[in-house]
Amino acid sequence: MTGPSQPVEDRSWTVRLRSWIGRLVPPGQALPDRQPVYVASWIYVFGVLTLAGFVVVVATGCVLAIGGTTWWHVSALGHFVNSLHLWSTELFFAFMVIHLWGKFFMAAWRGKRALTWMTGAVAFVGSIGTAFTGYLSQSNFDSQWISTQAKDGLNAVGIGAWFNVLDPGQMLTWHIALLPLVVGVLAVWHVVLVRRHGVVPPIDAVAPVDAGPPVDAGPPDGSVVDPGDVVRAG
Amino acid sequence: MEPWGVGMSLLAEAGAYVSWGPIQISVTNLVIVGLMVLVFLAALVVPFGREHDSRGPR
Repeated sequence: MTGPSQPVEDRSWTVRLRSWIGRLVPPGQALPDRQPVYVASWIYVFGVLTLAGFVVVVATGCVLAIGGTTWWHVSALGHFVNSLHLWSTELFFAFMVIHLWGKFFMAAWRGKRALTWMTGAVAFVGSIGTAFTGYLSQSNFDSQWISTQAKDGLNAVGIGAWFNVLDPGQMLTWHIALLPLVVGVLAVWHVVLVRRHGVVPPIDAVAPVDAGPPVDAGPPDGSVVDPGDVVRAG
Repeated sequence: MEPWGVGMSLLAEAGAYVSWGPIQISVTNLVIVGLMVLVFLAALVVPFGREHDSRGPR
């Protein structure tokens, strides 16, 4: 609570918001150009590959939204963009699942990273829902088949009245507005948390103390990296 | 072609499946999952090849 003795600028919501944004990640960690040496492994690449896939999915989805749901049936360009949308989705999921495997076996929730893990897991579930509504928006026999197969299961769990897979308009708006917004917000939140707490070190390593973000608790166990060892990130 | 003829034609193109008890998966999806496992294992063992800089963080 602000008191009358505080400066006017401290009571301003814009100042407080600016200060909060400035404290989201440690200084220099928003777009770091160096990482601990253990990050020089291909398994650490799949998070950003997932992000790249997500960007292509959203970009091609925006182009498809201009032409509409039937554009790809009657246009060679539409068909091409639709294929880009499909295959970027396939790669997005493949990269995300490999990222999930890597982080699971790394126990990536260590070192106060539980919320990072949870936002990633919920974003994964949200992505499945987004892809599902996308398959229902293809405007072809495939989408008809999937919707008629899905309706019984969703009705059985009692949500068919609010989430009607036989309503292509509702499925389309969920696919292009609600669910991408949820996944996008979760992805940004996830990345901010990764930058805030740092990339999780392998189980038998400790993070450099002077790299900025908090690190795992516990003493080195003899198989640690030199705290000064870093590699350029770009 | 009669409507049921179209249906039979679509069924004939349904693809190959592998069944193991209650689990059923198309050969295509099984191959994709296998490739993903191979990529995962390769990511663990293939050297990254990044030039090492041990001068410490700036």
